[in-house]
Amino acid sequence: LLLSSDSPLSLELSAKNNMASPSATLSLCSAFSAHCSVAPPRSLSKPSLSLARPAIGFLSTSAASTSRPAFPAAPKFAESAVVAEPETTDIEAVVVSEDKPKREEIFAVVMVGGRQYIVFPGRYLYTQRLKDANVDDQIVLNKVLLVGTKTHTYIGKPVVTNATVHAVVENQGLNDKVVVFKYKPKKKYRRNIGHRQPNTRIRITGITGYEEYPASPNVAV
Amino acid sequence: MTRIKRGYIARRRRTKLRLFASSFQGAHSRLMRERTMTQQRIRALVSARRDKKKRKRDFRRLWITRINAVIHETEVFYSYNRFIHNLYKKQLLLNRKILAQIALLNRSCLYTISNEIKK
Repeated sequence: LLLSSDSPLSLELSAKNNMASPSATLSLCSAFSAHCSVAPPRSLSKPSLSLARPAIGFLSTSAASTSRPAFPAAPKFAESAVVAEPETTDIEAVVVSEDKPKREEIFAVVMVGGRQYIVFPGRYLYTQRLKDANVDDQIVLNKVLLVGTKTHTYIGKPVVTNATVHAVVENQGLNDKVVVFKYKPKKKYRRNIGHRQPNTRIRITGITGYEEYPASPNVAV
Repeated sequence: MTRIKRGYIARRRRTKLRLFASSFQGAHSRLMRERTMTQQRIRALVSARRDKKKRKRDFRRLWITRINAVIHETEVFYSYNRFIHNLYKKQLLLNRKILAQIALLNRSCLYTISNEIKK
């Protein structure tokens, strides 16, 4: 049972969460930023990826777990915190989100493939093709530039030390075809070339390891 | 040589052209025999190629404008250029795309960042 909100407009989840308007809009922004792959590579150091193949895989949470306290006090057990949504009689909140566990309100900015992405646990992301990764591999992303929780922001200079983002490789595919049409007028030169860039879809399972880093409390807006 | 009729070769090519130009305005989506559709298709593809490069510039301008707008609100006499200078001095690696997204949606986080780098 894979549990995630695939569609970028997953606002139905926000109907139930009271503190969700930043996270709902943040989820919009992550979808936007994931698809808007135009950041020129300005990284000073090369991104490094390590493949971790543990014996116990991080399985995505199943909907049928028992209820637990909502916002995790110990973020280490982030992936397994599950909250059963209370049954309400709201008409707007009809949508499926009754059994969906409350996601922790955390995001990270991670650099993969020379590009930076805003990343939420449970959502997926298209990155440049990771050459040595096979499907269903656990992946650890080390270049975490920023971790943000509800109360604190951990700003990396340049990297948040020991922070890692765990992800699972879902699919190694190709982007949509773009037509590269080269043409010189009056010189009888035209070339019609199609191009599909290889990509990898990874699903983020958790963000860990940022707790010991000096945090800055969020400024009240 | 046996006689070969060309069958549907030409029709397939023209159908593809018609589909491509189907959203163009006026005669540019209708006139196949006067070659208008072919020419408009070429112009469209050339524009697409050129604008793929321009898109990177356009978005960077947009992000800079957005960051500038939010940074001006933090305090008097503070602007995008000083913010980026401080960013580089503190060796942060966040790029303008991420900063602009944070500015849009999680504005308190951007204020936190700008206070942190001003220290």
